[in-house]
Amino acid sequence: MSGEYAVIREEDRLRPSEAVIAAVRARYPTEAEIDAVLSRKMQRRHGPGYTGVTLERLVEGTRALIENRLGHPIVIENARWLSGGASKLQMVFELGRDGPDSGARETLVLRMEPAASVTESSRSREFEVLAAVQGVIPAPTPYWVDAEAAFLPYPGMVYGFMTGSAKPSYDAGKVSGLGQNYGPDLRARLAPHFVGLLAKLHTMEVPPLPAFAHFERPQVGSNASIIRQVNAIRRVWEEDRVEEEPILEIVYRWLIANAPPLDRVSIIHGDYRSGNFLFDEALGRITAWLDWEGATLGDRHQDLTYATMPTFQHYDDDGVTALASGMMPAADLFAAYEEASGLKVDPLRLRYFNIYNRYLVTVLTLAASARASMVRGTHQDVLVNFVVGVGYIALSDLRDHFVEATA
Amino acid sequence: MNRSFDTQLQAVLRALTDVVGPALAGSEKHVVEQLHLAIATLSFVKTRLPDARAFHRMELRAYIAMCERAAGIAHEALPGDADALTALARQGETVLADPEADLAAYETADRALRDSLTALSNRVVGTPCQPGLERLILDEGDAILRQCRQWCTPFGFELKPEDLPPPAW
Repeated sequence: MSGEYAVIREEDRLRPSEAVIAAVRARYPTEAEIDAVLSRKMQRRHGPGYTGVTLERLVEGTRALIENRLGHPIVIENARWLSGGASKLQMVFELGRDGPDSGARETLVLRMEPAASVTESSRSREFEVLAAVQGVIPAPTPYWVDAEAAFLPYPGMVYGFMTGSAKPSYDAGKVSGLGQNYGPDLRARLAPHFVGLLAKLHTMEVPPLPAFAHFERPQVGSNASIIRQVNAIRRVWEEDRVEEEPILEIVYRWLIANAPPLDRVSIIHGDYRSGNFLFDEALGRITAWLDWEGATLGDRHQDLTYATMPTFQHYDDDGVTALASGMMPAADLFAAYEEASGLKVDPLRLRYFNIYNRYLVTVLTLAASARASMVRGTHQDVLVNFVVGVGYIALSDLRDHFVEATA
Repeated sequence: MNRSFDTQLQAVLRALTDVVGPALAGSEKHVVEQLHLAIATLSFVKTRLPDARAFHRMELRAYIAMCERAAGIAHEALPGDADALTALARQGETVLADPEADLAAYETADRALRDSLTALSNRVVGTPCQPGLERLILDEGDAILRQCRQWCTPFGFELKPEDLPPPAW
């Protein structure tokens, strides 16, 4: 155990002193960069909530960032909001790298944090993992990062705009990703690509430094990195919860006591599911994997169990067969993954990460989302607050799964 | 004045749905999305507001009962902690019996019980009563959770709301 349970008072969550932040850091030790991100979140609670940022302000900050990096004037045109996602602000724009006299333009995206997020994450880590997977996984090309908000109102990064659809044209009104049904034809073409890219991601070599400089490198044979990940989630629960749920502490203790040693270090996407990729409907191919902010170096079973969570499944036309991430039954997905990757799918690790991911989703909904909207921390509090409505379903699913898996 | 909150909310919802929504046709996607979410959230409030007091009382009653049983399980190993939890449960009963108690009072009593129960479940780690206390939390927590899910059904996330137990508030 990393420390005794202690109740942080609600007023400490709203305006945490440095002593409170230090106590939480000590009780739930995690990776240095995650620690820094979570500490910054707590320190921000002394400041104002999120105040609306205009497109003009974002253009100004983005121009300053890019000109600082390139060392000469550039042009930004046609800036507009990019919707999608519950966590980050996004602006799409045309960049003239060579200034106003050049006609060349490229379409880029600014991705910036609000004051508080459903998922507090590191722009440096997101930037580094995107850089690492270029040429292996279709993903936006990262260009510049403003990790300390030197130019932008909050930390942000600029990356390439990717084309493709998040939802099939016949189902465009649906909330992206939650039980997305791609239909039998598109599903049959997307599913092998979905599994194949996951296998590619998990089997690619983790490049040496300076790549992944903001990640701690786990050791094969050790469970220390998994324990750090669990502690990070537990720390979010400590910092953000609006009320205690006694079940979660039981699960936390189990996750610490049963963390499996790594048998291989893989790049983990962390949010690998339907709705987090773009595709070409005509070609039936995935064109881009998005939302890399939860990426880590760790155990492949984390992604495998996340992709097969009930939240992201729907039933086939027979009304009986559950299709993981709208692709295929979980057992088929694991078999296809083993074949594509050459890596074993271990039932014991599946059991562990099935509980881990349910714990994560419960904390993100019942704590992080609830707190982010409570402190008026985002550009879309109404959405973030609405997401909390999933929280009891997530906790109930965690409880049921935990009881069954540990019986 | 029209004292009915239901009518007040109904008037706002009609304005947003019938007037503001159509006027935003063609607006940026995130603007329309936030309007729809605002309407859905207000609809949730309109549906649940009349039952809020009953729901909070039910939840507090459930935690009082669970904490009393938890204190019984833990008493042999940690009599002081168990007695303290029993005392908190008594305070909760006092709040329930108080005709002047408001939602905030129910919430405060409920949260004190949740915090203390969780703290107790940590202190019993390694004692013979750990398995029994964990079983209690997992079993009785299940019934409370299903009522919380029932409470949240107006959000529309439940795939099969008909499978949930009926409201117990």
